Amino acid sequence: MSSFTVLVIRFAYFLDTSVSYRRLKEAARTLLEHPHSKIKFYFDIFMVFLVVLSVLCLLYEVKHPDESILEWIIQGSLFIFILEYFLRFWIYSDSHAIVIEHYEYALKNNLPFSLGRTLVKVVRKKLDYVFSPLAIIDLLAILPSYRPLRFLRIFLLFRIFKLFRYARSMKTFATILHEKKFELLTLAIFAGFVIFAGSSAIYIFETNQNPKINTLFDAVYWSIVTMGTVGYGDIVPLTQEGMAVSMVLIILGVCVLAFLTSIIVSSFQNKLVELKESRLYYDIEKLERYILICGYGRVGEVVAKMLHEDGNALVIIDTDTAKIKLAQERGLIGIVGDASKSKLLGTLGIEKRATHIVCATNSDELNIFITLSARSLSPRTTIIARVIKNTHKKKYLLAGANYAFSADETIGLMGAQLVTQPVSFAALEGMLSENTGIVFESIFLHEYSFFSRQSVASLSLHAKRLLLFGVVRPDEYALEKRFLFNPSEDFVLQPNDSLIVMGRKHAINAFRKQNEKRKE
Amino acid sequence: MNHNTLILLFGLSRTALEIAKKLKKQGYAFTLVDYDPSSLVKAQKEGFDLVVCDYGDDDALESLGIAKNVGFVFCLFDDDVHNVFLTLSVRAIDPNVQIIATTHTKDAVHKLEIAGASTILDPYQITGKKIYKLITQPEVIQIVETTIFGEEDVNMAQMTVTEASPLNGMLLSQYATWKPYNMLLLGLHDKELTKEFIFITEGHTHKLDAGDVLVVMGSMSEIRRFKADFCLE
Repeated sequence: MSSFTVLVIRFAYFLDTSVSYRRLKEAARTLLEHPHSKIKFYFDIFMVFLVVLSVLCLLYEVKHPDESILEWIIQGSLFIFILEYFLRFWIYSDSHAIVIEHYEYALKNNLPFSLGRTLVKVVRKKLDYVFSPLAIIDLLAILPSYRPLRFLRIFLLFRIFKLFRYARSMKTFATILHEKKFELLTLAIFAGFVIFAGSSAIYIFETNQNPKINTLFDAVYWSIVTMGTVGYGDIVPLTQEGMAVSMVLIILGVCVLAFLTSIIVSSFQNKLVELKESRLYYDIEKLERYILICGYGRVGEVVAKMLHEDGNALVIIDTDTAKIKLAQERGLIGIVGDASKSKLLGTLGIEKRATHIVCATNSDELNIFITLSARSLSPRTTIIARVIKNTHKKKYLLAGANYAFSADETIGLMGAQLVTQPVSFAALEGMLSENTGIVFESIFLHEYSFFSRQSVASLSLHAKRLLLFGVVRPDEYALEKRFLFNPSEDFVLQPNDSLIVMGRKHAINAFRKQNEKRKE
Repeated sequence: MNHNTLILLFGLSRTALEIAKKLKKQGYAFTLVDYDPSSLVKAQKEGFDLVVCDYGDDDALESLGIAKNVGFVFCLFDDDVHNVFLTLSVRAIDPNVQIIATTHTKDAVHKLEIAGASTILDPYQITGKKIYKLITQPEVIQIVETTIFGEEDVNMAQMTVTEASPLNGMLLSQYATWKPYNMLLLGLHDKELTKEFIFITEGHTHKLDAGDVLVVMGSMSEIRRFKADFCLE
């Protein structure tokens, strides 16, 4: 191996191990490519602004060539465009990785390492970038500013095309064109054939009769104007044969235009659904914490409504499109999908951002499956499941649900209570449904809470129109919690206790506020 | 409540079985009724007797004792149509019987109200509220679960103030009277005032009269002691 080869390999390994190099490249990727990074969002806005500004300056310069400040702006933006071009060129591929890969492949297989062939690979990869459509646009936006290439000034307008890079909707248009490549190509061939036939016919029939048609270019120009149903009227057929050609051309032109429109519109409509969905996922990705509700049936509806009113961020999944539409109409984020699919739960990022998962579909099997998938993805999320058949409750807990319960159990108890003690049923119903405005809430005492280390008597709860139901106190190691029902007046509260109080919402809120006051 | 008053549970649903188990535990007599003979087997499996009866026939309903000795009718079918029809039929025969119905759709709540159900239990609403509470106030729901519904010796009981009771004529604000007992007075039901239950935190100036029903919470022994000391029924 030549010393140069050794040098190249060493350098490649140096780059591979260098932390700062990797960090730098990573930072550049976050800035330019990472789809949901905040900094890319701001960078895109800045670039759009710059493109528009530089084009405006170019237009202004046409009539006012001597403004130096314009020149500054143009040169400045040019500098940034060049920098961006090279940055993208740099991050497009990892050349050192290619070198290392080839070198190690050669070592392992006892083959001679050819630097030349490796470099060809490296260059080819970089050329891939240079010849990608967006890179060409970028380059065309830069090149005309180079003085010897001034004649390419018109290409400066290519800067406008640079906007493609930064606007998502424009990208969609490009993908539509790409997806409908086959249809569009067929249509283009047909249109090309018609134009060719039409222009050659008019050229043959009218070149000597019509003073306006002298070259084949005139004929092509005329046929396109006619086909596009524009008909400027600067060139008109004079012979009867020419008129016949133009009539046929007009009809075919209308057909071609209609086809073109329908192809683009229909694929746009299909794309729109996808676009909306990706927008939805984007919205979800912006949520730092949310509660996931699987199943927007009656239970899901009730839960979602109450949580939404409290200002919690929610994501709803249901397989039924109509239900999701209903949820969306109510201002909630809804996704049509199968919540038992791990992939869907993964894309929603439940392991990091879902604080609670509610399984509220109307099938035990599905609920258990969702519980299992969610638990396997996210060990710490609280999973609450609705049990349909009470005998399955144990399975939910086995699958990893934190809470599982069926309505039957509660209703059974309430029904029995209703028969045996109707008045206490009313009390129980009032407490559970909270329809009467009386609520149960827990209030946590931390180290500096106003009521820490005070006796129950000093809370004067009676005057505050609250009832202390009990105190939840963790044991020494904070492993288990003990519930102390109805503590006596001289009971002293400690930090980390939770008071369970009953009363009107506003009375509880006032009490909570007082508790949050710092002790002097 | 008189233990002899008959309780009818219509519809052999899971809810019905759950209520039946609870009532059986407390020693109440009840009858399970369904129109479908195939549910006989299911009931037997759970250890209950079942009466097969066409609830659409008023005579059949009367033969079950409605308008005679039936105090409570539970409409627990899995289908709202049956529940609404049954509620209507029973109400037509007996205007005073307590009708308790479950619903499965939102529309049915209103229909059951019109049909004359005294109490409507909405399992979806209950489950939804519970899930909501679990998310926002998990501690509270756990306490409620372990105390009222659970094993811990905290019970809910109701008792009526008698003429002879020392509580008769007392104000609710004189709460020191029952402080020595390890129990909580949740509130009361005043026969004269409203139909609704008054929570203790609301009615500070309320004066207790004979006939008022108090609801307390605490261990069974304390409740009994309180009941005896204050001549409550």
